[in-house]
Amino acid sequence: MATLNITYQGQSADYELAIDFATTDADIRRIAVEIVRSGGARGLHLPNLPANAFAAFVVDRLAGPAGEQRIYLRPKVPFGASCCGS
Amino acid sequence: MLRIVICGVGALGSTCVQYLRNVKAELRLVDFDRVESKNLAAQWFVKQSLGKNKAEAARLQLANFYGAKAEAMGVRLVPNNAAQLLADCALAVDCFDNADSRLALSDAARTANVPLVHAALAADGTFGLVRWDERFTPDREDSEGQATCEGGEHLPMIGVLGAVLARTIQDFVAGAARHDYLVSLSAVTRTT
Repeated sequence: MATLNITYQGQSADYELAIDFATTDADIRRIAVEIVRSGGARGLHLPNLPANAFAAFVVDRLAGPAGEQRIYLRPKVPFGASCCGS
Repeated sequence: MLRIVICGVGALGSTCVQYLRNVKAELRLVDFDRVESKNLAAQWFVKQSLGKNKAEAARLQLANFYGAKAEAMGVRLVPNNAAQLLADCALAVDCFDNADSRLALSDAARTANVPLVHAALAADGTFGLVRWDERFTPDREDSEGQATCEGGEHLPMIGVLGAVLARTIQDFVAGAARHDYLVSLSAVTRTT
């Protein structure tokens, strides 16, 4: 049992996920689309979410503050927020 | 007093630095770039800093506005000088804007056994994270030179992320804590 955290368009929500921690990234992305379409993650209900919405997203598997298994599906974060190279 | 090196004094780095003006540490600021007029929309620089090196400009602003001291290193961090820039530092902070610089800094910090915390922002300004080096892998841009904060439209998120990073640094200085955070438009979530 892991908790899946999905961040999309500035909103972030948890979903209790009964899957193996080592589930592939592709499967995590596919499952996340279904969760968001169905409204399973509180605050993230987008019935028409495109199937490829998370194609460029990153999957992180980390232990939470209490040692629990957490999977984070999040946008890429390539920047230190500079407009011109810092 | 311990020394902290801030690597990259652009939007995130300069925003974080202003919140570190009373931290119980000496600050070393590293950035090769110069302040341009477009930077005023999203970075903690004032018109009087235009044309100055960013590290030096931030040093001067800390001194002139708050009487806080810092050391400015107006160079680009590369493998050849990284050890020198990290010398005598108890903490390194990554506010760079590209994966290559982040990797060079990670390599140098690991070699020198200097704790390193990263801060990074999504291209659309809706999400960011603060994460310690042992759990961090840099993301590459979708396309080289991808624009981020042109016009300063992401300034509120930069402010939140810079503040969370500053708090993370404060916690490390106070008790060697190493907390990670996710920062979205709806919440700041501690993840370790």
